[in-house]
Amino acid sequence: MYGRVTGVTLVGIQGHPVVVEASVGRGLPALCLTGLPGASVQDARERVRPAVESAGLEWPLRRVVVNLSPVDLRKDGPGLDLPIALSVLAASGAFPKEKLDRFAFAGELSLEGTLMPTPGILAVALSAWHAGLAGVVVPRANAPEAALVEGLEVIGANTLAEVVAFLRGSAESGPVVVTESERADPPAGADLAEVRGQAQARRALEVAAAGGHNVLMVGSPGAGKTMLARRLPTILPSLSREEALEVTQMHSVAGVLGEAALVKARPFRAPHHTVSPAGLLGGGSGLPRPGEVSLAHHGVLFLDEVAEFRRDALEGLRQPLEDGRVVVTRAAGSIAFPARFTLVAAANPCPCGFEGDPRRPCRCLPARAQAYRQKLSGPLVDRIDIRLTVPRLSPSELLGESDGEASPSVRARVEESRERQRRRYAGTGVTCNARVAGPRARREARLDAAAEDLLTRAVERYELTGRGFDRVLKVSRTIADLAGAEAVGVAHLAEALSYRPASDAELVRVG
Amino acid sequence: MRNSSVSAETGRFSWPQGFAEGPANRDALLVLTGMQGLTPRAVVELSERFGDASGCLVAVVAGRGGSDADRRHAAGTDPRHVRATLEACRARMVVPGTQEYPPGMLALPDPPAALFVRGTPLDQLLPGVAVVGSRSGSSLGRDIARALGRGLAASGITVVSGAARGIDGASHEGALLVEGGGTVAVLGSGIDVAYPQRNAGLLARIEASGAIVSEYPPGVPAEPRRFPARNRLIAAAGIALVIIEGAAGSGTLITCDHALGLGRPVYAVPGPVNSPLSEVPLKLIRDGATMIRGADDLLLDLGLAGEGSDGQLAIAGLTSVEEAVLAQLAGPTLPEHVARELELTVADVVPVLMQLELRGVVRAAGGRYERCLPG
Repeated sequence: MYGRVTGVTLVGIQGHPVVVEASVGRGLPALCLTGLPGASVQDARERVRPAVESAGLEWPLRRVVVNLSPVDLRKDGPGLDLPIALSVLAASGAFPKEKLDRFAFAGELSLEGTLMPTPGILAVALSAWHAGLAGVVVPRANAPEAALVEGLEVIGANTLAEVVAFLRGSAESGPVVVTESERADPPAGADLAEVRGQAQARRALEVAAAGGHNVLMVGSPGAGKTMLARRLPTILPSLSREEALEVTQMHSVAGVLGEAALVKARPFRAPHHTVSPAGLLGGGSGLPRPGEVSLAHHGVLFLDEVAEFRRDALEGLRQPLEDGRVVVTRAAGSIAFPARFTLVAAANPCPCGFEGDPRRPCRCLPARAQAYRQKLSGPLVDRIDIRLTVPRLSPSELLGESDGEASPSVRARVEESRERQRRRYAGTGVTCNARVAGPRARREARLDAAAEDLLTRAVERYELTGRGFDRVLKVSRTIADLAGAEAVGVAHLAEALSYRPASDAELVRVG
Repeated sequence: MRNSSVSAETGRFSWPQGFAEGPANRDALLVLTGMQGLTPRAVVELSERFGDASGCLVAVVAGRGGSDADRRHAAGTDPRHVRATLEACRARMVVPGTQEYPPGMLALPDPPAALFVRGTPLDQLLPGVAVVGSRSGSSLGRDIARALGRGLAASGITVVSGAARGIDGASHEGALLVEGGGTVAVLGSGIDVAYPQRNAGLLARIEASGAIVSEYPPGVPAEPRRFPARNRLIAAAGIALVIIEGAAGSGTLITCDHALGLGRPVYAVPGPVNSPLSEVPLKLIRDGATMIRGADDLLLDLGLAGEGSDGQLAIAGLTSVEEAVLAQLAGPTLPEHVARELELTVADVVPVLMQLELRGVVRAAGGRYERCLPG
């Protein structure tokens, strides 16, 4: 009496096929699970029998052994409930076995026998497709997500009974076959046009979006830093289908997908400054889970009050900012999560927040203000190309400000300039100016004579370091790309200089 | 003061004959100046009753003045040791009755019984012009202070200030920009204590080009309660006092009161009416202080030069766009405001502003741009 079903377990955000075998033999009634089940899979022992009985099916009152193969891979997640139940039912001959081999099964079971929405279904579907299976059987709620994988038959079921009916070939109470029905575009929510005033900041965001540059916004409380940051995803280029699938897979594994089948808007993640390194970078006990940096993959990671974040959490951002991925190591193994995001950090100019404000005095002790500024420098700020001061506007400055340009038309310019960059860097694995290495950036800048002269003076005046120099060149290249210019001119370079992050030397000299 | 056209004020106070004469009196002063419980005024009163410094010290030890802590200090202090620590920090003691003791101090009701000095002899530097202001000065205020210090030093006038952060430090810096520029820093701590710590480099340069002065012997820590007393020395060391920026209730007003008490003229540099840092200078101008725009105005008023500060905002060699952008900067201005007035875009205006910043004509301040002071 033997049954065998294909399930999928998650390692990081990748699915791995698992063969679930059941053997029903002599002995006292018991369910024994072997093959390195994690805690949540061990739980299935107790869940599966009531679920089967609620579905009106018979649980074999004999000794049942379920083995999860490969046995050296630790299995986690609730998605193995359904394959375990089916393997036992197959072993006891509850339905014919023909269809079993063509599908992978995943889904969490309730004691009542319903299939609960389960995280990571897109990864399950992708894994089934790579394993050469014809289709997947998943909870009805997750079916649209699985249907994103083209060429895969997707069966969505509400209950275990429906799955059994499908395997028995009886059509009447059978589950639904789902084809891709992508959710409508996200409701037009945030738009850059809603930001009143702050023309310089809006322009800087456009440059950041065009070149893929990270941004540091410095400004008093209430200046509108968060409002601006939230609107950066709306002017970034639209997600390509591959990017959208990657984002969806990530959000699906993390269980934050919500109603969406395919994520079409670039993610915006804004973790609070109390977040732990594991929460920010990924981790957790047992198998690592993706952190905020990975949930922001292909989107924007916004760190408000960046100086208040834990030092170790910020230090950990270095790797994803460099490599576009984060490697999390735990006892159970190490896993790489993709994490290519645009970083937007925001900070007050000083602890009280009002340094440089013309209408309100700063009340900070100089030593504290100095310590605060130094927290903003260091390895993280080294990877930020654009530094932006966001002033708190007075009522008279706000008055008479017309609404700004709407996001779609800004995005059109951004996409045009990205296209120019893609052509320039074709075949190098780099797609935007921000990710170009220093020597290449220097070569591609193509400064005209007047710009060369300006750059020389700027290097002296601002004591630009080698890295600071490269950052200015990259940003000026982006500004020239936005203007459709081949060579970087004086105006492009001068604008880039205005986004120059303060060097450590300047930080010390200020105040 | 090297400029002979400024005459030092003759003192009203005089120490008893032979107050600090001879090694015994000087040793007594080395001990007396370290007494925390003995105010300068108390020393003056003791000197009136007991004559010279040795007499004052004996009186304190006998319990006729000072506190028990002072008597413990007297018992535990060896003048030779104080002399050694002075030598170790290249400082010397300047006492009344000598050439170096600044006559301006004698205008005070409580002149210092001795001054500790590092650097150039004070009689070559003083009297000068005192320049004070807020410790948390704006970058504009620091520019003004720097330009003023530079202008005064270029005319051979010593800049006297307190070596604090902000305006004080900037005025010293300005004076040091001039080759051989004289400047005097008056400390509120022991002569060997660099406070604030981050101004240690500045103090070293002041010592090399001018002098550092304190009425406290080595080792006395910087404490806020000593700063008002220090301010009276700043006021007394100058023939005039200039105030650049000060918020209501700041120590700047104390220096101003001392200057008025000494009969020194007070000058103030105005700032925007909506800035909290303008409160003190604007109030002083309302109350009759003379408004100056920079060093030239001050030199004119002191009778040392004939120029005045008119026309200092004109800048040569600008393009027409740069001229137009610059003309829009009345106070800290948003780039989009400039763009709107000139019917340009922000992306047009920011590069122009940046190039003006590179030339040192404007400066970015908290997302806005403002004009710098020339020089």
